[in-house]
Order: sequence, then C-alpha cells, then structure tokens
Amino acid sequence: MTETPISVMVVDDHPLWRDGVARDLSERGFEVRATAGDVASAVRIASAARPDVVLMDLNLGTASGVEAILAIAKDLPDTRVLVLSASGEHADVLEAVKAGASGYLVKSASAEELVDAVQRTAEGDPVFTAGLAGLVLGEYRRMAASPESGDEAPRLTERETEVMRLVAKGLTAKQIATRLKISHRTVENHVRSTLRKLQLHSRIDLVRYAIEHGLDE
Amino acid sequence: MTSKQSRDRILRGDPNTPLWVGMVALRLVTYCFAVVATITHQPDYQRPWLSWVMLGGITAWTAYTVPAYLRGYGRKPAIVYTDVLLTCAMLLTSLWILAPEHYILTPLITTVWASSAPVALAVLRGWPHGFAAGLLVAICTAVARGVINLDVTRDAVLLCGAGLVIGMSSAQARASAEQLRRALRTEAATAERERLARSIHDSVLQVLARVRRRGNELGGDAVELATLAGEQEIALRKLVSSGPQESGPAGETDLGGRLQMLRSPRVQVAVPGAEVLVAEEVASELLAAVGEALTNVANHAGPDAHAWVLLEELPNELVISVRDDGPGIPEGRLQAAEAEGRLGIARSMCGRMSDLGGSVELETTPGEGTEWELRLPRPAGQRRADGKGAKR
Repeated sequence: MTETPISVMVVDDHPLWRDGVARDLSERGFEVRATAGDVASAVRIASAARPDVVLMDLNLGTASGVEAILAIAKDLPDTRVLVLSASGEHADVLEAVKAGASGYLVKSASAEELVDAVQRTAEGDPVFTAGLAGLVLGEYRRMAASPESGDEAPRLTERETEVMRLVAKGLTAKQIATRLKISHRTVENHVRSTLRKLQLHSRIDLVRYAIEHGLDE
Repeated sequence: MTSKQSRDRILRGDPNTPLWVGMVALRLVTYCFAVVATITHQPDYQRPWLSWVMLGGITAWTAYTVPAYLRGYGRKPAIVYTDVLLTCAMLLTSLWILAPEHYILTPLITTVWASSAPVALAVLRGWPHGFAAGLLVAICTAVARGVINLDVTRDAVLLCGAGLVIGMSSAQARASAEQLRRALRTEAATAERERLARSIHDSVLQVLARVRRRGNELGGDAVELATLAGEQEIALRKLVSSGPQESGPAGETDLGGRLQMLRSPRVQVAVPGAEVLVAEEVASELLAAVGEALTNVANHAGPDAHAWVLLEELPNELVISVRDDGPGIPEGRLQAAEAEGRLGIARSMCGRMSDLGGSVELETTPGEGTEWELRLPRPAGQRRADGKGAKR
C-alpha cells in the first residue's frame, strides 16, 4: 500500500458506523473516496467515484443492498463489492454473493480483519468467511435436495465440498492446504470455482426468467 | 395479500360461516319442497286459503333469514329461537289446514323445511340446543299427526340427530378457531421479538462494540468508557439471546437461528441459509452441548483462542462441528480428568448426544486445536429444505 492507495467507498445507512469505518480505513492508508447511505445514491456515486472496493451494508433502511450490488456489478466490472453485514441476514447475504459480491464480512469483525479483507478483495481474492462458506454449503445442499432444481443445479465436487467445510470451520487457506496436502493456489481455485458456479447458476436463472417473461433485452 | 386476508378472517370472522352457508342452502332446498307440496296437495286441504297464508309466511321468513344468516346479522339467539318457535307454530297450523282424514299421510304444511330451524340453532348454540330444538319440532310433528308411528319416529330421530351432529361440529369449529387464533397471536409476538432482537443486533450492539473498540484504542479515560460499553454489550447480547424462545407452530424451532445467538468476537457461527427445524427440546439439548464445547474452549484453549461453529443439514443427519485454534488437548488429559471423577465435558456432551440418539467425535492434535463433531441422525423426509432458502 505505497504508491497508489486502494480506493474504497463505504455504503451504510448508519452514520456513526459509516464514519467509523471510513476513519478506520483512512487511518490505515486507504483512500476513502465516497460514502453513501441508500441504494440510489450508492449506485450514482459509485459510477462517478469508481472505487476499487465498495463496502456494502445489506440493510439500507427499507431497501436491500443487493439491488445496489446488481447495478454496480453491471456498470463497473472493475469495482469489487465486499459485503459488510450484521448477523441474521442469511438470505440477503446469499443473494448478494449471487448478485456479484466477492466477499462477506460480519460487522463484528475487528479493524484488522476489515483491513485485511478490503486488501484481499482489491487483489481479486474472494473473502470467504466461515459464515459465508456455511451459507454456500447449505445452498448447494438445498439445491441438491430440492426436487425442482433437478439435474441442472450446480454441484460441488467432493474436493470442493471438503475445502468448503474446512473454510466453514474457520481454517485459513494455508491450513487447508497443509491438511489436504495440496497447494495454497489449488485451495483458492476450489473456493473461487465454488463461488463462480453459484453466480453462474443464478445468472442462468435470471436469463431464463427474463426470456420466459419477455424481458429479454 | 390473500394470506393476510385469510389471517384477518381467522382473527375476526365467525368460524362457523361455512356451516351457516350449509344451513341456508338446506333452508332454500327444503323451501322448494314446501312450495311443491302445497301446490300438489291442495285437494287434501280443508282450508286451502290458510295453506296459502302459511306458504306466504314460510316464504317471508325464508326471505328474511337467508340474507340475515348469510351476512351474519341474523346469527343472534333472539332470531334463531324465534326461528324454531315460528317453525313449530306454522307446523301446528297443519291441524287446521289438512282435512282430518289426511293428518297421517299428507305432508304437513312446513314439510322438510321444518328441519332447517333446529339446524340453525345447533350451529349457533351447539349440540344440546340443537338436539332439544330437533326434539321440539319432532313433538310438534307427532301432535299434528296425532299418532306416533314409524314415520313420526323416523323424523324425530333424523331431526334430533341433525341437531346433535351439526351442534357438535359447530362447537368443534369454534374450539379449533380459538386455538388457531391463539397460535397466530403467539406467532405474531414471536415475530416481533425476533424483529427487536435483529434490530438490536444491527444497531445498539454495533454502536456499543464500536465505542468499546474506539475507547480502547484512544486509551486514558476513554478506556473506562470502553469497559462500560463492553459490559453493556455483553449484557444486552445475553438478554437478546436468552429471552424465552417461543416455539414454532409444531413445537419446532430454527436451530440455525438459535446457534447464531452464540456468535461473539471470539466465536464464529456458520449455518445454512434455510431454516433447520428441529423439536424445541432437541434444539435446547444441542445448544447446551455446543455451549459446553465453547466453555471448554474458553477454559482450556486460552483467552486468545477463537472458535468456529458449523451447522450442516445432510439428507439424513445434522452435523454440528465446534473447532478451536487453541493448543489442543494433550493426549490422555480427557481420560485423566474423567478418572479424577470430575464430570468432564466429554461425558456430559456424550450423554446429551446419546440421549438424543446421536454421537460425539473428538479430534485433536496438539498444537492444532480441538474439533468436536456432534452428529444427530434424522429420518429422511424430515428435512424441509425449501423453507426460507434464498431461492429466487
């Protein structure tokens, strides 16, 4: 973090929290380029400020941050979204990841964890907390058990399930690599592919929905 | 919207409305009988004019009661008792309408229409009233016929039976509606409690956590503020998580939601997005077992150790893993603790799990933390994966 600092935008409807996070990040050398408190201004300001990373709260008053993530993922392919959410928002977090968020961190995370997560998100690594891994595992199992999804539902390979379980139990990529006797890169590839399959499936779902309902562009 | 409407109907409406609709249909069908019978039996009447007057009365009373019962404003004791008495009185005028030689065989002026009044009373007041009204109409029939023969007896059995059965089903419907009302109220109260708990998690706890962190960073006098905020944060978190847990409609509760309440700066909890419904008692036992594993982390893995709780719902079992990154349990220490007679966590947890029909596995490597795996088999089909998943 020397020459060009990572630029960040903080979206949260709670002013105290928003300013606190912004200060934490700028004190540690990030460039906080903008802040926003609702979906509409988040989308508008993001396309003007073009930050590297958007820190997105999902509970924005009456609206959900998922809409903002969809818009940002569509308009700004180079901007990565890190969801910073309070507990108890499961369906939302999964929707956010399917919409294109590349990571998720609970709000109770420490400042150091936050800094680390923003840095990794900016570098393109998915920030896969234990909590998100648990959700994703559950989602794959739900799809496998649900009769309506049939054969089209994406499935995890045995290795991917193994990696995902270890992530959900809080092991770092390095610890997983040691335990499974595979390389650190391979672990990250498994994680990335798990996430990508889920996003792709949700995009296929969206496209099919659009065609069926005559909303095809 | 429709579910809200049906909820309103349950909360405010008359649970017996379907029975009233049935009663009104009976009255209309039997009214047609009365009309046809009056027209076709004119030769048997000694006072045809009185038969037309009575048919007019039956028509007027039917015309008044049909909308009154359907819309609900007629479902009052005064009107329904009047219905029964009026029916009996009109039935008895048969004595003056029919020629005496036809008392026994020709239908009475009210015909089967007379059965609808006891049914109405049964719907309104339950079986004792319905039975009594049926008996009253039967007695009037016997009086008008002047004999007690097979026909009269059969009518009496049918009238009393209808009053009895309809009366019982109306009481049952009322009782079920009352239970449903109570369940809906409990559900609303639970939802409100959960909403409060969520919003406390989202706002007050966040602010307290923030104050504590910032205060500790600033040092000096701010540390005291940080300590106070930290104490309140812990107290509030406990309050939110330990409040009386209302159970779901079938005494079931979302295990995922309950486990999440264990979350703290040192404990991360990972659960599936869809609800994992288990019986209330099972949830309490599992939570207690997980709590013991976490207490063990706090006691033995050192103050800096973190713990991760993972809940997985497999097709035929639930798996809860509790892992910590502490130093691990040196070989033999668990057995040593048990040998010393201390009720170790292992025994207590294994006891809880085997009571539920599950099992506990411990995996520990010195230097690599401890991992408990609690497994609880579940019969296939108990899984309800399509509850509140994030399905689009």
